[in-house]
Amino acid sequence: MIRRLVLMVLFTAVPLPGQDHVDQCLQCHQTLEDEPSTLFIRDIHRLRGITCAGCHGGDPRAEEMEDAMNKQTGFLGVPKGDEITGRCVKCHSDQERMKSYGSNGRTDQELLLRQSVHGRLSVSGKERLVQCTTCHNAHGIVSVKDKRSPVHPLNVTATCASCHGNPAYMRNYNPALPVDQLPKYRTSVHGRRNARGDTRVAECASCHGSHDIRSAHDVKSSVYPTNLPATCASCHSDSVRMKPYGIPTNQYESFAESVHGIALLEKHDPGAPACNDCHGNHGAAPPGVQSVSQVCGTCHALNADLFSRSPHKRAFDQRNLPECETCHGNHSIVAVTDRLIGSEPPAVCAQCHSPTEYPAGYTAAMSMRAIIDSLVTLEEQARALVEEAEQKGMEVSEQRFALRSVRQARLESRTTIHAFDKAKLQEVAAKGIAAARDIHVQAQEAIDEYYFRRIGLGVSTLIITLLVIGLYLYIKKIESNGQQR
Amino acid sequence: MMNFLRQTYIWLDERLQLRDLVDFLGKKYVPVHRHSVWYYFGGVSLFLFLVQVVTGILLLLYYKGSEELAFESIQFIMSRVQFGWLIRSIHSWAANLFILAALIHMFSVFFEKAYRKPRELTWVTGMLMLFVGFGFGFSGYLLPWNELAFFATKVGTDIAGVVPVIGKPLLEFLRGGPEVTGATLSRFFGFHVAVFPGIFTILLGIHLLLVQRQGMSEPLGLEKNPSLEQKRMPFFPNFLLRDLLLWLMVLNLLAILAVFFPWELGQKADPFAPAPAGIKPEWYFMFMFQTLKLLPAHVLFVDGEVLGISLFGLAGILWLLVPFWDRRSARGEQNRFVNYLGLFATLYIILFTILGYLS
Repeated sequence: MIRRLVLMVLFTAVPLPGQDHVDQCLQCHQTLEDEPSTLFIRDIHRLRGITCAGCHGGDPRAEEMEDAMNKQTGFLGVPKGDEITGRCVKCHSDQERMKSYGSNGRTDQELLLRQSVHGRLSVSGKERLVQCTTCHNAHGIVSVKDKRSPVHPLNVTATCASCHGNPAYMRNYNPALPVDQLPKYRTSVHGRRNARGDTRVAECASCHGSHDIRSAHDVKSSVYPTNLPATCASCHSDSVRMKPYGIPTNQYESFAESVHGIALLEKHDPGAPACNDCHGNHGAAPPGVQSVSQVCGTCHALNADLFSRSPHKRAFDQRNLPECETCHGNHSIVAVTDRLIGSEPPAVCAQCHSPTEYPAGYTAAMSMRAIIDSLVTLEEQARALVEEAEQKGMEVSEQRFALRSVRQARLESRTTIHAFDKAKLQEVAAKGIAAARDIHVQAQEAIDEYYFRRIGLGVSTLIITLLVIGLYLYIKKIESNGQQR
Repeated sequence: MMNFLRQTYIWLDERLQLRDLVDFLGKKYVPVHRHSVWYYFGGVSLFLFLVQVVTGILLLLYYKGSEELAFESIQFIMSRVQFGWLIRSIHSWAANLFILAALIHMFSVFFEKAYRKPRELTWVTGMLMLFVGFGFGFSGYLLPWNELAFFATKVGTDIAGVVPVIGKPLLEFLRGGPEVTGATLSRFFGFHVAVFPGIFTILLGIHLLLVQRQGMSEPLGLEKNPSLEQKRMPFFPNFLLRDLLLWLMVLNLLAILAVFFPWELGQKADPFAPAPAGIKPEWYFMFMFQTLKLLPAHVLFVDGEVLGISLFGLAGILWLLVPFWDRRSARGEQNRFVNYLGLFATLYIILFTILGYLS
């Protein structure tokens, strides 16, 4: 107790740089041993010469409490609601003033906060959900780089979780929002490293931002699906930053060229997978070798199901091969074509099924490719004939519609490939082949009908012309016989 | 063979006194002059109407007038029914050529002042047939229940809804409710195959009876100057054979149009889809549609559309009643005002139709 009092006197009885007087507020409050004054001793503001009056108003020189806390002379008292942030921004939005305290940092925090999800939400409608003090504390504020700061990279997850991990509190704002982000984060590579004191790994603010946090459904949010790859890449494409971890930095480039990346980044389809759909978001980690097909299977359910029941499943597991990734790649997955199956590159089957070592698999791959090729060829021929008939003005909308069933069979056969069962593939392809043949016949009939119509028109025109000539001659004859008067 | 025909004729004559009719036709003559060519458009209109009746009945064998089946039934006619494509295309093309021929016929009668006494009722029945012809076109356009027809009917009935006083009830009567739905299709089908043909047949009967009874009108100049030598041609068989010759040529034209420009079916109507760009009415409504489009929202204190509809209505009534207010022509005198009025109407229709397609 005596030690604390001595320290207080040492800290408060001497004016700090920038102060030309002793802060009487602090001196009196310290004698009361209240928490604010105790915390304010180490506050960055006090260390830069700002007294209690900087936020609370009043006269810090006055020795008498009545004079120091006189509302007539500008005492403001304890701010409430949005007034709290209002007091902070008086300095923090003023670039010149901030420079005078030696800060060259941003001065738009309040603007960003207002636009953020925290700034927009309010239960009472009177004040915004989050004030500066919610995250930075009110007294005892230290630099973000200071490990004691609640927003220091090692502390910020706990600070966020103080609200986001509290279901009773979160229910007031977004009952559907999960509250297990922190436990998940602790299982992630980022979280585990952060727990070990690594300040370079991602924490909440790295992905969500700090003052400008937006809902993940907001298109401007850094974690909105179409923005997420760039957010992840801001660290993972940074070779200097990633060097200590020894992981590649080309994931973004590969992903951007992939079928998923094109759908997400070029076609702006928010349903297309972003980084978090395969790696998780708060629990981000690379999927294990045996769980790849489960991860891909969350979207490609049929393919994953067929694969897991196929003979390849056991063979891949035995050889410790990542399932889908072995044939399709990972970040750079390109749009699948039928050329992926077969015996010659770019077919992938021969990578394992060499004609000498595994001739059965090699032959099976060739015959499956032949089945798909015949379906594709018949579909193309039928489509070409339908288009030709259409160009000739024939009514072939039924055939055009029926082409969908051929396409459907082709897509089904591509899926069925994952069962690696020739008989099953033949069964699926047969439906498409039969439909394509029917369409072919009908489209050809339509084209024949087109020529028949022209011939028919020619014949009928000839007959009508002869009739017209005959009639004309007959009229001339009766008129020349003097019937006209 | 000839003997059989003669016997049949005698058998019929004993019961129906056909000799009177044959004598009447034998004495019937058609004036021959430099404007005689316009006489043929009445016959062409009649022929095209008959084509419509025949092809329409054939289409009825397969057409289903319901929201769910109308489009599919036309698709079936076009693709599966033997010569269905030909019948449907001829029906559509003949409908348009019928309106064109009827308009030419109407304007030729107007400029020749053939409506003057004693042919006032022939003119009135002809004009009423033209209006019913427009009704045929408007109701028939919706029957395939395709996208363009659906939205054109929506726009067309919207315009009918603007008619002063009776607009709203008229719109609901036409649509069978506040919106264009299957109920609209059902009643348009009813109008097209029952109501309009019935009215048209009665009007056509009166019209043809009057034409036969009164004969062809001669131009004012010829009638006024008896010194001019007047040529005449027997109606039977000379004029009728010439009519037949022209009908054969029109039939061939229809076949050519049907083969080279088959009438398209388009996409099935989807009431929940947004209206496609470039919705346009049938060409014979285009001048009215374009006028309403160009009219400002308000002219003085009157709603622009209401004013436009009212003016067209008034013009239609004046046009219909021309034989009754054009007293000069009735007296056999030249009436330049009517000529200029006709010229203005013709140019207006042509100009605004072109503008409608260009815009």
